[in-house]
Amino acid sequence: MREHDEGRSGPAHGLTRRRVLGIGGALGLVAATGLSTAAALARRPSITGAELRSAVPLPPPFQVPLPIPPVLKPVSTEGGTDRYEITQREASAEILPGVRTPLWTYEGTFPGPTIESRRGRPVTVTHRNELPVPTVVHLHGGRTPAASDGYPTDLVLPEDWHDTTTHTGHGSEHGMHDPRAVVTELTRDYTFPLDQRPTLLWYHDHRMDFTAPAIWRGLAGLHIVRDDTEDALGLPAGPRELPLMIADRAFAADGSLAYPALDPTLRERPGVHEPHFAGVLGDVILVNGAPWPVHEVDTARYRLRILNASNARHYELEAVTDDGRRLDLVQVGADQGLLAAPITHQALPIAPAERYDVIIDFSGLPVGSRVGLVNRLGSGRTRDVMAFRIARHATDDSRVPRTLSTDLPTWRRTDAVSVRDFSFRAGRMRGGHGWLVGGLPFDPARTDVTTRLGDVEVWRLVADVHHPIHLHLVGFLVLSRSGRPPLPHDAGLKDTISLRPGEAAEIITRFDGYRGRYLFHCHNAEHEDMAMMANVEII
Amino acid sequence: MATSSLGSAAAHRTRPTGWVFRAVVSAHVVAIVGQPVFAGVYLTGDFDSLRWHAVGADVVTSIGYLQVIAAIIVWARLRQAWPFLTTTAVVAAETVQYFAGLDGALWLHLPLGVMTVAALVVQFIAVWRQPLLRRPRAHREARDA
Repeated sequence: MREHDEGRSGPAHGLTRRRVLGIGGALGLVAATGLSTAAALARRPSITGAELRSAVPLPPPFQVPLPIPPVLKPVSTEGGTDRYEITQREASAEILPGVRTPLWTYEGTFPGPTIESRRGRPVTVTHRNELPVPTVVHLHGGRTPAASDGYPTDLVLPEDWHDTTTHTGHGSEHGMHDPRAVVTELTRDYTFPLDQRPTLLWYHDHRMDFTAPAIWRGLAGLHIVRDDTEDALGLPAGPRELPLMIADRAFAADGSLAYPALDPTLRERPGVHEPHFAGVLGDVILVNGAPWPVHEVDTARYRLRILNASNARHYELEAVTDDGRRLDLVQVGADQGLLAAPITHQALPIAPAERYDVIIDFSGLPVGSRVGLVNRLGSGRTRDVMAFRIARHATDDSRVPRTLSTDLPTWRRTDAVSVRDFSFRAGRMRGGHGWLVGGLPFDPARTDVTTRLGDVEVWRLVADVHHPIHLHLVGFLVLSRSGRPPLPHDAGLKDTISLRPGEAAEIITRFDGYRGRYLFHCHNAEHEDMAMMANVEII
Repeated sequence: MATSSLGSAAAHRTRPTGWVFRAVVSAHVVAIVGQPVFAGVYLTGDFDSLRWHAVGADVVTSIGYLQVIAAIIVWARLRQAWPFLTTTAVVAAETVQYFAGLDGALWLHLPLGVMTVAALVVQFIAVWRQPLLRRPRAHREARDA
């Protein structure tokens, strides 16, 4: 009552000027405090995931030479098929100088050996599992029949795997089972027809619930598809074509790769400790398995075949000379092969599992100078990726044609028989946190999308935080990003699209090639292990 | 309502100018409440809601600028400055909000959005809890003294 009386005795609007100013000032102060707290606490640039700190001293950058993964020799090339054998086994390597690091490897190396293949010439790889856990190999970006696509429950069991309740579902204690799983013992043949556009693919483990730690421990390798048309373009080749597999890792005090697994044996219980729920980031940047390496180059054009093989770390790459000048990154290819025409970038964002085919020109740079490949999203040591040292003058007969390809698909919205919406977000699953697609955790026994072979569809993907979304089997074109035109780096045919927080994208694709059950999922490997996958059944 | 307690003489009724301002503020509140609704539905995976959120942003911002004009008229005809001052603050926040949304700066977009809605609700209460009267010159001078 006193308030009221006081108000009435005051001027027109019932409160004294002093009180109005007091309330207004208090609310203004609260608002200002709120906004500055948001500004102070926010991750700018935003990053999804939490970084592990290495417990061993880290080497200075640009000391270790860039390794090039060995090219695997086929055991047979008869009958029009190249046959390869890969043994998955434990090995150790000196990744950091003077530190032995035990790894899970393909053929004893990290990255695994590179497979070089020709378009339309089938490759069969016999994988033998000598690791202590089940494995399954997926060829990322491969146009592969479902039986060889490495479905997460199509496990290859190791010799002494006596677990009767083999993990075929997220949290086997809940009894989730995949009746369609094809489990083999010790070995499995994967056949890749490779009837697809030439590009850089990569193979990696895709075991249900344990993909992220398996890749982290070393189960990843490159697979290149080429054809005569691409060879004839005159792009930099031979020693001037460099595969760059970028991956972050962290090292424990004993030299092993640190990973916050709930079950360090990676046998029973999937998942990571709560702080790393959104993704595991390392504080060491490896390129082809070497920390912050350096590579000696000629004053010439180079073709960089870049893969982000990190579990969760995004990069925004730029090439910076000693005097701070940024070199152009001329993109010639995307995940699924050559663009129609080159696109020049100053900086190139790359999400987990994305690939970019980039030409960089070192001509005109002084011998002895250095070009750093820098990650604009990094801070401290993770800002550096690698460096190129200009070693010698050289002639260059390479070229970057103005037309790179004419075979890109021309799907239009009007071709689409279905338009589907999917959300990729955090949520509750079976009493805990998980990552959901369309509100649901992954269930191998549930068909999320049924489509007919040859159908064109538009998918509209919405993300809460960073989610690099990957479709198995098919490539797609990006139609829009958050209702606006695609970004320059969205060009070409892709198989993984990076969604940033709150962002949406429309993609268009044609489900052709093979019938069967395929996955689409988030390629933040921790999200993937925590159920952010779904099934497409192509009938 | 407080209106009745202030008497029924013609001089103590809200003028047409005041009614226009009340109407604009009310429309503004209705429009802005739709924004978190569309944002929330969008994040469930409903792609079209992003377009509604964008249309909503245009509508809210447009009403905001109308409110600035209405507030200037209130100031001129009723000699009340507070509607203009508070509206300017709200519209400034909405403009920042608009571009923060376009840039995906969610650390700013979310808290500023909540604060803008709260500010408009306060303004809604302020314009409806009592008549918007023309401030008598004498009164003002007396108080300012």
